[in-house]
Amino acid sequence: MEQNNSIPPFTQGLSPQGSMTPGLTLFSPMMPYGTGLTPQPVQNTNSLSLLEEQQRQQQQQQAASQQQGGMVAGSGQTPQLYHSQVSTTTALPGNTPLYNTPLTPMTPVTPATPASESSGIVPQLQNIVSTVNLGCKLDLKTIALRARNAEYNPKRFAAVIMRIREPRTTALIFSSGKMVCTGAKSEEQSRLAARKYARVVQKLGFPAKFLDFKIQNMVGSCDVKFPIRLEGLVLTHQQFSSYEPELFPGLIYRMIKPRIVLLIFVSGKVVLTGAKVRGEIYEAFENIYPILKGFRKTT
Amino acid sequence: MSQGRMIEAAFRRMPSSCPECGSSSVVEDDLYSQRQWVCEDCGSVVEEGLLTTLLSDETQGRDVPYHASTEEIKKPCRNLIAGFIRVRAMCRILRLSNDMESEVVSLFERAYNLPNFLHVTITKKEVLGGCCILCVCRQRNWPVSMGTVAYLLGADSSVIGTVYQELIKSLNIKATTTGITDLMESFCYDFKLGPQQVEEVLSETPQRLLDRMSALIELASDTWIVTGRQPLPLLMGSVYVAWQSLNPSARMKYSFTKFCKIGKAPEQSWRRSRDTALKRVSELLEVLCKLGRELPWLRGVPVEPKTVTTLVEDILKHRRALLSRAIQKYQQQLQNQLSETQTTECDDDPSESNRCEPPSSESSDQAECENPADEEATDCQLPPSHWGKSHLFLPPCVKSRKRQRVDVPQLEVTGDEDISDSEIESYIRSPGEIKLYLKAQKELKQE
Repeated sequence: MEQNNSIPPFTQGLSPQGSMTPGLTLFSPMMPYGTGLTPQPVQNTNSLSLLEEQQRQQQQQQAASQQQGGMVAGSGQTPQLYHSQVSTTTALPGNTPLYNTPLTPMTPVTPATPASESSGIVPQLQNIVSTVNLGCKLDLKTIALRARNAEYNPKRFAAVIMRIREPRTTALIFSSGKMVCTGAKSEEQSRLAARKYARVVQKLGFPAKFLDFKIQNMVGSCDVKFPIRLEGLVLTHQQFSSYEPELFPGLIYRMIKPRIVLLIFVSGKVVLTGAKVRGEIYEAFENIYPILKGFRKTT
Repeated sequence: MSQGRMIEAAFRRMPSSCPECGSSSVVEDDLYSQRQWVCEDCGSVVEEGLLTTLLSDETQGRDVPYHASTEEIKKPCRNLIAGFIRVRAMCRILRLSNDMESEVVSLFERAYNLPNFLHVTITKKEVLGGCCILCVCRQRNWPVSMGTVAYLLGADSSVIGTVYQELIKSLNIKATTTGITDLMESFCYDFKLGPQQVEEVLSETPQRLLDRMSALIELASDTWIVTGRQPLPLLMGSVYVAWQSLNPSARMKYSFTKFCKIGKAPEQSWRRSRDTALKRVSELLEVLCKLGRELPWLRGVPVEPKTVTTLVEDILKHRRALLSRAIQKYQQQLQNQLSETQTTECDDDPSESNRCEPPSSESSDQAECENPADEEATDCQLPPSHWGKSHLFLPPCVKSRKRQRVDVPQLEVTGDEDISDSEIESYIRSPGEIKLYLKAQKELKQE
């Protein structure tokens, strides 16, 4: 385990390429409906699956309409799902491989499930919380004094709060050498950000390492695009749901498998939290979507 | 071994038999601080230890903590007793039946002695009493809202919420949520509008008020006004609209505040949520307007929120039919609009499009005349491609989105990229900056 984790000072890149990131399992398809459909094998490992293609096309259309409304930021690129560059031509699915970038170990491979089975909506990750051990005791006063982007108020909280611009994240650095990194939108961003914080601490003169990086929590959100009858849902799924309009406007659904908490709102927006891997969020949403569709009353 | 220990060891050997009756069942049964060995059969004291303590015992021995002494077993702690008194008082205020009260008290005792409620602040223990009442009332379908419990305890509803969730989780209680319809009846009876209490023209029996109110609440629930909202402001708004609609000609001129004063509603409840209640009133009136426009005998008379109260009785009587009519009409209009835009798009020839335009504008004008409130029905705030456009009734939180959510383009990284030194340097202060910072700190401290 030592080989991945120690940072020799002033080297480029903290861990060798192709190392397995801890705690990530590939997204396994859930077949909750018992249809007996088996997932089709992916034809070409470099091309996107059917689902991703359709989603990408939808998003491109949305981006196009947004551009007309003048709301897209700067570069005009569509919001990305998994891969880096997107060509502007919308090719039909399964024709040619559009991407030459290799699949990174973090990217889950979604099997080509037919669109009518799945919801067609992919939850977007909004926040990742991760922890890492820098492996040495730190003097928080020195860090707060010598770093530009740090704040430290020992009377309020016993840690230095440090922020970096890219990826836009916040870190809590404790005197024991442990660090919590929050605010990233993907696992890779969280890892990169944690490494940058470790480098800053290194440059401030501490023998910081990068031990036991672990993703502790992932938060995703999406919109089912129809209003939901929360009172009906709490009656039929009483053992999982808690709906107290006097306390909170959303319904709190505690799914057992996978162990995810979902906040479901009347507007159709769903927030999923408590995941350790991306696949749990997708699985939880695919589980809840048919239940929510049952409470979609067209009024 | 110390002296005290040696004496202890000497006493620790068990006497084997009782000299009086000869039985071998001799047990150690201490009397307070004196060790005694007593025969079980005849009860005689076979041997006893020292009554007084040695110096070594006093200096090196451990004190008996309160929870290990006999005191605690005999009497319940003071906070528990105070809690019982408070819980019983609240049950009497809420007029719960005797067996419900005893159920609450036993639940409170059980909950109090749980490890996660035993060592908490006194405030939390007080709130625990209220939560036990809430639990039992929900199990017995007795409508009590959290707001009522919060008011009785003088606590914040968020604190009540956390304690309540903890309670049902630790004791595995299954209690259903109190729906708004359950709270209606007790709410209605809060208003003193009987013929003896107010003038004839303003008075209303609770039953009539309740009937009208339940129809309004049912309509509100169908049109997404109820879900996800606090029940109290909506109840207040609907009782106001119900009261007005039962005699519109005489009562339209009374404002909401005036109505609450006439009905002598508890002031702290309506004052706090007055603004929200008025918002609910306007939402309710908007829905009533949308339905009122479908009344066939009106024939084009404009239906406005200010005047719709006169039509409420008719609207509520036929609400099912009016709802389905309004929705069907709306779907039809959407279809028409969609087909119009498609035909105008298909036209390449400008002359043809000129010809097509007048008829399309005519039909859209007609559509507008039929339903002038089409623009209101689908709020202009929504972007044209939004899914909400296809629904006539929407939850208000979807309609009035205050700020567009902008999705920032995602950063594509692998997590293992090189990190440039210059970037890291930008986060570190130069020695000059550090000096300036320390200087400023010193100066601020001197002030």
